[in-house]
Amino acid sequence: MTRKILIVEDDTATAAYLAKGLAEAGFAVETCGDGRDGLFLASEGIFDLIIADRMLPGLDGLSMINAVRAAGVSTPALVLSALATVDDRVDGLHAGADDYLVKPFSFAELSARVEALLRRFERPQASAQTTRLGVGDLEIDLLARTVVRQGRAIPLGAREFNLLEYLARHAGQVVTRTMMLEKIWNYHFDPGSNVVDVHIGRLRRKLEDGFAQPILHTVRGAGYRLSLDA
Amino acid sequence: MNRTRALRLSVTARIALLAIALAMATNLVLAAFLWQQIHSDAVEAVRRDTTEQSDAFLSVYRSGGMPALIAAIDDAARSSDTSLIALVIDDTGRKRSGIGPDHLSIETPRRDGFRVGALGDEEPWAGQEAGYTVRRIGAYRLVSGHLMDDWQQERRGIERALLLATALSLMFGIGGGLVVARYVGRRLNAIAAVIEGVGQGDLTKRVGSVAGGGDAFDRLSIRLDAMLDKVERLMGELRIVTDSLAHDLRSPIARLRAKTETAILVTDPVQRDVALSGLLVETDLVMRMLSTLLEITRSQSVSRNRFTTIAPAALIEEIAELYEPVAEDAGIVLTAEVEPNLPDIVMHRELMTQAITNLIDNALRHAGKSGQITLRAAFVPGTNEIRLQVEDRGSGIAEADREQALSRFGRLDSARTIPGAGLGLSLVAAVARLHGGRLELGDNAPGLIAAIVVPR
Repeated sequence: MTRKILIVEDDTATAAYLAKGLAEAGFAVETCGDGRDGLFLASEGIFDLIIADRMLPGLDGLSMINAVRAAGVSTPALVLSALATVDDRVDGLHAGADDYLVKPFSFAELSARVEALLRRFERPQASAQTTRLGVGDLEIDLLARTVVRQGRAIPLGAREFNLLEYLARHAGQVVTRTMMLEKIWNYHFDPGSNVVDVHIGRLRRKLEDGFAQPILHTVRGAGYRLSLDA
Repeated sequence: MNRTRALRLSVTARIALLAIALAMATNLVLAAFLWQQIHSDAVEAVRRDTTEQSDAFLSVYRSGGMPALIAAIDDAARSSDTSLIALVIDDTGRKRSGIGPDHLSIETPRRDGFRVGALGDEEPWAGQEAGYTVRRIGAYRLVSGHLMDDWQQERRGIERALLLATALSLMFGIGGGLVVARYVGRRLNAIAAVIEGVGQGDLTKRVGSVAGGGDAFDRLSIRLDAMLDKVERLMGELRIVTDSLAHDLRSPIARLRAKTETAILVTDPVQRDVALSGLLVETDLVMRMLSTLLEITRSQSVSRNRFTTIAPAALIEEIAELYEPVAEDAGIVLTAEVEPNLPDIVMHRELMTQAITNLIDNALRHAGKSGQITLRAAFVPGTNEIRLQVEDRGSGIAEADREQALSRFGRLDSARTIPGAGLGLSLVAAVARLHGGRLELGDNAPGLIAAIVVPR
């Protein structure tokens, strides 16, 4: 079934850019230009995801999401904002957004976050109860915190294990650098150096050295993807 | 402005009035005390004399009866003591014999004892105060005592002195009040002049500190000057930021534009992709400059509820863990050294981490091939401060260049060839200031020590 996304954005160029990209990615997209209309549409509860600008005419994005939640609709919401400081991001998350993306953003970043949000809300129980994750020939035991590939144990550091677990929970999807910084290190700023790439590089060596098939792929301009198929 | 002036004048006037009132009150209290003291001394002397005299008359009466007493009174009257009162009265208060008014205006007291008061209405007794005792002798009474004319003279003297003192204190009060008012007015005017100057846009004006001054005006001046220093610094920074922003954004945007033009002309798809990703890199650089700038500006006014209590060791080790692989890839050994028993620090975790990672990024860029970076958390000996510092073994920053390195967009000419927005250190400095501390650049001989010094 096609998943439906509501875009509430007053800047028509951004809205069109988002609508076009998401439609190409296979989503059914509806757009509107102000907070009140957005609230009206979202309250129907027919959408799988809301993408809302933070500063909107009529009703600002965060208030709109809170009003939708108050109406008993728990559609996941991603907030877009030009407010870019660390505190703005943390505020946005505290104020009821499920994810927060700062403008300008790359479409790859947005689509990775949209995928992650949709998956999180479609299978909420599964991730909570799972004790083992399997990706291709890779097996991850979340309780014992051990990793086995093709029957061979792969020793990982604590941070490397967290990184792998996060990638495995989003297996087959693109995970971006900022998503990893936010989730693994709890940093809402860009450290500048290619810190994430270096950590991924190490993890990749441990996962792939001595095996024929690559499993941790770099998606150019976007991030990384854990999957056996290229 | 008129209102301020009126207020200022009325304050000085009030201060002058207060000074006058205080001077007068002091003098009046002193005079009243003096009066009281002299009065009770005089009464005491009269009481002693009166009691002795009355005892003497009484013993004369006991040994020789009424005739001897009258003789003794006449005897006493012939002496030169003009203040003497000694008379025998009957039950109605009429004089039978002796010196004193013919008819006593006082009610004849039943009890013996010393009293002070006027004795009679007729001259020369009217209005004259006397100290006296009344004793019973047979059917009559003996009233003996002294007029208190000594005291009355003294009283007139004191009254004159009091009048003079009041006049003097009024004069001194006015004089002192004027001096105080002038002094206060002068100092307030100095401060007001500075504020007016600043209001009209001249931020360079200062009250100027007073040598060895510690009074309220000095404190006010010092605070005002400090505030103006900060305002001037911020305004200056703002001006530099707008200037530099225009200037420094121009170069990456110019590069962006040039690369875009080139990319349009490229026909080979592979090369076109390369050109396009170059555009992305330039765009990201501009974005990072903007967000760092925002972060600096915002960090001047972050509210304290963003702060959490964090162990410096945990912070440093977390950052070391994040950066150790990055350093290793660059052929650099990154080690963390944390002094044991460091107290927790209340801090903005993310901003502090960002500041320290900025310092590490700098160190990575400038460490050169000698390849050694140390993250250190330690007490500053003999103070209440903790240093969170990054030490490298690169070429360091010459002492003369350090201030420029700290200013926004301050990039040393020697660093112009290495990419970077030049905002890193000023963000670190802003974060240090946010935590009530400062950024210090020191010499690692060789290399740079960049330390965030925060109070514990």
